[in-house]
Amino acid sequence: MNQRSNEIKIETHGDIALLDIRGDVTAFSEPSLNSAYNSAKESRPKKILLKFEESAYINSGGIAVLIQVLAQTRRNNQKIGITGLSDHFKKVFNMVGITKFATVYPTLQDALSAMSAMS
Amino acid sequence: MPDNQTVELNLPSKLGYERVVIGGLAAFAKNVGSSSSRIEDLKTSVAEACINAMLHGNKGKPDARVLVAISFQESTLRISVFDEGNGFKAEPKDPDIERIIEYLDPPVGFGVFLMKRLMDKVEFNRTSNHRHEVRMTMKLTG
Repeated sequence: MNQRSNEIKIETHGDIALLDIRGDVTAFSEPSLNSAYNSAKESRPKKILLKFEESAYINSGGIAVLIQVLAQTRRNNQKIGITGLSDHFKKVFNMVGITKFATVYPTLQDALSAMSAMS
Repeated sequence: MPDNQTVELNLPSKLGYERVVIGGLAAFAKNVGSSSSRIEDLKTSVAEACINAMLHGNKGKPDARVLVAISFQESTLRISVFDEGNGFKAEPKDPDIERIIEYLDPPVGFGVFLMKRLMDKVEFNRTSNHRHEVRMTMKLTG
């Protein structure tokens, strides 16, 4: 089966770089997610917000790619937030420990408000 | 031979075909009364078993197949995923995200970890016809 790469739109909201990730998150997401993160990093944002589609299929390959992005944000002293997850993937992200390193917000607006207020 | 209530799906060993299984599995589980949250647990667990079968069991062999058998008896869903490999030498340890984030461990092991947490029971068996089987069960309650 063909695996489509993700379309990722980058927006800047103050000191937050928002990566709006369209499509499923699997091992095939690695090039597009890394490329988007590297592009976003050029403006030296203090905070990174990953927004997923609530209907997205996310598997262990995608989780591994996301953890690699988390590792990069940690090395670059950036705060990271996540939004747009279904209840199931909120549970999965909690199980694997992603929520120890990234805050999950219920909505995009909640994420932007809370992260804007962070120093 | 499967019994007359077992559904079997025979897949090419290529990433992405696990999506075909989880679509059919969701319909099957809904039909026998699974809740939507348990259906999501099933979809993730069975997708991960298929991905492991393709990557680690069949090791990318182009002609290898992955067989998935789904049945429901006595309020229990049973799903077996078969590949043509030998299974684990040792069951993988749980991934430690803190070590992965520090680049001390590779980012692997999430599939089995999630299967064991999302399903009621997960077993790994070698079958008499030289296949490896991951057998998962989920009891439906309420």
